[in-house]
Amino acid sequence: MRLDVVGKNILRVDALSKVTGKALYPEDIYMENMLYGKTLRSKVPHAYIRVDTSKAERIDGVIKIFTHKDVPKNEYGVVLKDHEVFCSQKVRRIGDPIAFVVAKDLKTCHLALENIRVEYEEIEGVFDPIEAMKDDAPKVHGDSNIIYHFKIRKGDIKEGFKNSHVIVENTYKTHMVDHAFLQPESGVSFIDEEGRITVIVATQYPHYDREEIASALNMPEESVRVINANVGGAFGGREDISLQIHLALATKELNRPVKTVYSREESFIAHAKRHPMIMKYKTGADRDGKLLALEAEIIGDSGAYASWAMNVLRKSGVHASGPYEIPNVKVDSIAVYTNNPFTGAMRGFGATQVPIAYEQQMDILAEKLGLDPISIRLKNMFRKGSVTATGQVLTESVPLQECLERVVERMDFPRREEAY
Amino acid sequence: MVKIDLLVNGKKHSLEVEEDMRLIDLLREKLGLTGVKEGCSEGECGACTVIMDGEVVNSCLVMAFQAHESNIITIEGLDGEGSLHPLQQAFIDAGAVQCGYCTPGMILSAKALLDKNPNPTEEEIREGISGNLCRCTGYNKIVEAINRAKGV
Repeated sequence: MRLDVVGKNILRVDALSKVTGKALYPEDIYMENMLYGKTLRSKVPHAYIRVDTSKAERIDGVIKIFTHKDVPKNEYGVVLKDHEVFCSQKVRRIGDPIAFVVAKDLKTCHLALENIRVEYEEIEGVFDPIEAMKDDAPKVHGDSNIIYHFKIRKGDIKEGFKNSHVIVENTYKTHMVDHAFLQPESGVSFIDEEGRITVIVATQYPHYDREEIASALNMPEESVRVINANVGGAFGGREDISLQIHLALATKELNRPVKTVYSREESFIAHAKRHPMIMKYKTGADRDGKLLALEAEIIGDSGAYASWAMNVLRKSGVHASGPYEIPNVKVDSIAVYTNNPFTGAMRGFGATQVPIAYEQQMDILAEKLGLDPISIRLKNMFRKGSVTATGQVLTESVPLQECLERVVERMDFPRREEAY
Repeated sequence: MVKIDLLVNGKKHSLEVEEDMRLIDLLREKLGLTGVKEGCSEGECGACTVIMDGEVVNSCLVMAFQAHESNIITIEGLDGEGSLHPLQQAFIDAGAVQCGYCTPGMILSAKALLDKNPNPTEEEIREGISGNLCRCTGYNKIVEAINRAKGV
């Protein structure tokens, strides 16, 4: 097969504009007659709110302050429509958007933000996903905090553990992570030459953004245009809506270009994080190190909104047994609402957390059986023809063994092991 | 307002600036040099790096009035007429550019390094760009690019 691209170094089409500083990110765009927008965000994690913008509206240079009352359809969300464009009754996390100030310049925006009165009637919050699963826990949305429950049932784990020579049981926890892409969120909205509400933004999903803007503004999708500028890193953190609807709404109402640039601090508060996970693992193997059974419960903290919780926890569940063939498997992975920052997509989408659990289980099993960490993996790893925990038969190439053997060779693994 | 005179990319400017204006705002908002990027506003990320009188500075931490009578170089001042600076070419050739947001600051830190030390070791290169974060984690390619450019 002749390959034109694979295996060759290809010059990036955008490299020239980036090394010369000419590449435009949304904040680099300045338009005539442009206004500035700033978001007022919740300072508490769980409260009923009452908002009074009257004093801020009287400040010279403030054009308009948008709240939930101004949004035709006050909801959005990539899977579940559980976000409000602006909170109407209740805030569910620190950083929830409450209002959007549009003013002639940034200084005026800041002054107006300080003059919006928000009365918080604080209610009990829930910050531990295990607590949040209990019946009597405070509810973030509706009458249950459980968003999603994915199950795998393969074989009979009771039988598997009964036949196991060694059983290892541990609970592993991972923490929240921010993408910290280098370019904080920014955007400019305007009405284009064909009368469409246009938002220039750095996004991972211009087509989804358009759908969400059109839906919230109750407009046909053809009347909305999203232009993806250069994106200063994303890593999953730009999959959810941030400022897109706020800007589109403001331009639609005011008929003027509006620009918003988040500070680093606001960026941290505004966008999703990687799911912290609590992973309870029980793994059994026979005398030779062959895996016989796995029971895993994975609880993902989705924070105040679902975002991609189902997709992420499903992926964690599917990957819970790792690249190993196990005849008896029971996996439960559960996504739970709390009043923490919301979590969503980040590099690996749930596949990143579980290796921390299943690989440490492998090392501990090996130690207990007097095996080295390589042989126990070679004994159990997926090969062509293996059946995964979900019942998939791997019929295509599975070069895992070759990969591991090469790594062992290059790392001079046996010598390293001796050194310990 | 304060009146200041300064040289930016070889061009003289005389302007009035607000007392609380930062150098980055002066460069971006008043002079339209948007190749100066703002990543953190507190001197951690290095995206706003410019060269001021031969030294790299975070333009978010320098007040505009402090740039009075100084000589500033931004990314826009690097390429000559129709030709790229060797560092710019090396960044393209080595694949050292991904999202591009750290790139202007990286290249300027590298330039300041090479101006002082034309033949740095790999360790010196890494130290030279230690004030610039790349979140696409392309450091190896960036070091390679600077290594390529140093002889040119």
